[in-house]
Amino acid sequence: MPATQRNGREGLQMLLKGNPVSGGIAIGKVYLYKAFSCDVHEAYYEKGEKTQKLAEWESAKEAARAELTAIADSFTRDGAADKAKIFTAHIDMLSDEEIDEMVREGIENDCAMPDYAVDKTFAEFIRIMGKVKNPLIAARAADLRDIRNRLIRILHGEPERNLSLLSEQVIVVAHDLLPSDTATIDRSRVIGIITEVGGPTSHSAIIARSYGIPAVLGVPDATKVLCDGALAILDAAEGAVRICPDGETVAAFQAKKAEYDRIQAETAAFLTAESLTKDGVKIDIGVNIGSDQNVEYENCDFVGLFRTEFLFMQNDHLPTEEEQFEAYKRVLEKAGGKPVTLRTLDIGGDKSLPYLELPKEENPFLGKRAIRLCFDLPELFETQIRAALRASVFGKLWIMLPMIGGMEDIRRAKETVVKVKAELDARQIPYDKDVRLGIMIEIPSVALIADLAAGEVDFASLGTNDLCQYTCAADRMNPGVSEYCRSLSPAMLRIMGMAASAFNQAGKPISVCGELGGNPDAAVLLVGLGIRKLSMSASCIAGVKRRLSQITLDQAQKAAAQAVNLPTQEEVLRCASEAGDRN
Amino acid sequence: MYAKSTTIKNKTGLHARPAADFVAAAGKFQCKLNIRRTNEEESANAKSIIRLLALGLSHGEEIELTGAGDDEKEAVDSLIALIDSGFGE
Repeated sequence: MPATQRNGREGLQMLLKGNPVSGGIAIGKVYLYKAFSCDVHEAYYEKGEKTQKLAEWESAKEAARAELTAIADSFTRDGAADKAKIFTAHIDMLSDEEIDEMVREGIENDCAMPDYAVDKTFAEFIRIMGKVKNPLIAARAADLRDIRNRLIRILHGEPERNLSLLSEQVIVVAHDLLPSDTATIDRSRVIGIITEVGGPTSHSAIIARSYGIPAVLGVPDATKVLCDGALAILDAAEGAVRICPDGETVAAFQAKKAEYDRIQAETAAFLTAESLTKDGVKIDIGVNIGSDQNVEYENCDFVGLFRTEFLFMQNDHLPTEEEQFEAYKRVLEKAGGKPVTLRTLDIGGDKSLPYLELPKEENPFLGKRAIRLCFDLPELFETQIRAALRASVFGKLWIMLPMIGGMEDIRRAKETVVKVKAELDARQIPYDKDVRLGIMIEIPSVALIADLAAGEVDFASLGTNDLCQYTCAADRMNPGVSEYCRSLSPAMLRIMGMAASAFNQAGKPISVCGELGGNPDAAVLLVGLGIRKLSMSASCIAGVKRRLSQITLDQAQKAAAQAVNLPTQEEVLRCASEAGDRN
Repeated sequence: MYAKSTTIKNKTGLHARPAADFVAAAGKFQCKLNIRRTNEEESANAKSIIRLLALGLSHGEEIELTGAGDDEKEAVDSLIALIDSGFGE
């Protein structure tokens, strides 16, 4: 297809897919953002120019320092100390004595042109930094690249180009965004972000989410297919980018965007509200977290799921007891006395650790994952329990065991906890004696004996994603069977209702921490089934609180009672969406 | 030549701000300064933030700092004291 066909108004409509990492819809012109391309060639100057070339290097360094200082200052003024820090760190690196020496040597001894000397020097340091085992430090290579680009741009006499100098609202399309790009982004003008690389945890994704800019990342060849100034529609709900849409499509998405924005605005008001049903029944809202970053604990009542595997996955080694202790302590302290449900290591299945070789299994989801793996690696399990118990004095800790299939598993895990507690007692290391021990209900075999399990543990939480895949026998990672993974089928409602009744009868808390908990309509049915605690990712809180405010407990119970007897999921969904008064 | 050993006291190790503070302090002296893990050969210029970060010194690691130059004793002693102070963490 000729390139011209893609341009302008008559261009070919195209649909591209990527990772939706930050919700929303954007309709606007493409701004092809090519961060300064560092086009440097091996080049040497004539003998007599040494003094001049050295002076060029000096003044480039000064100019870079001035630019960085200006950026850092403007962030400090805006109260964004964390962003200012990125740039003061750049200034520190720019002033590095070894970099200066190596660049000077290149200019003085090899008669290298300053840009070439800079490029060669930074290439070496980027290589050194990239080799460091600590991923946090290795990531600083991106900062070095950023500084190199800045210096070479200055040496080439080009003006500063960044996303703070835009003249109109645009959807930014880039290969990737560097820290300096995202930090200086003009939030009023950048209405969408599309990049060729990056997943949900990339730097660009985190920034997009924190600024509330819709973003689709990991769109292959986005900078080649999308042209500067072309009209595009970015729909972050479906992770889709439409290029050169026709008038009809634009109108449809304008309506969709208006509706989305309206709901967002209305819903946002519920974020900080207390979560009550229409008739004032308190439903505890929890938040699911992976690490301790950027969680606003004040909008929730508890942490329903603290996934500790992130700590293990982000490292290049098994986190030590001390590292774990520090991480757990931080979360407990930040939660400020609200219960934190720490789930013990849940790897295997779809999650692996780079430094821990696990045997290949035919069916990893039915294999040795989570608690089963911990039973095989008692030292790892004990270390985690010990770190968690030691941290328990800094807040209110609940420990939750994943992949429990029966009483055997519960008792076996309890033995470990008892053993670790005895060791701590013997060493007179303090821990909270009231730490609660509970289980994930995600395997039908334990859901079916929830009454027995309730006698043995302090609490339970329904892990609806896995409970669904095991109940429906449909691999949740296999897109080919996703239609069979019916998380709101009458069967799922019955099995969850059974577990809820058993725990309620025993007077022990039961919550939901799977994806269903964050689904507003599902929340109605779960409350109707007897659940009073729902935990979800932070972005779902406002929507669930809002939906709960629209129903009375009686309405929720009636809807649930009806839903468990409906034949299909489709009818369940309709029943749930019609419950109460939508406003 | 003047050398002294100590253990990294602060929790974050010689990364981020502590590393920047350390390099800034080292830069005030004239002598050459090198830092290494006591049990390793590889050493780094203690005045280079990048070399220092690349070395990745963590809490609890034992290091040796060597100075060579006129103010070597004063430099090494004051930098070791800085590490021992835990950088205010």
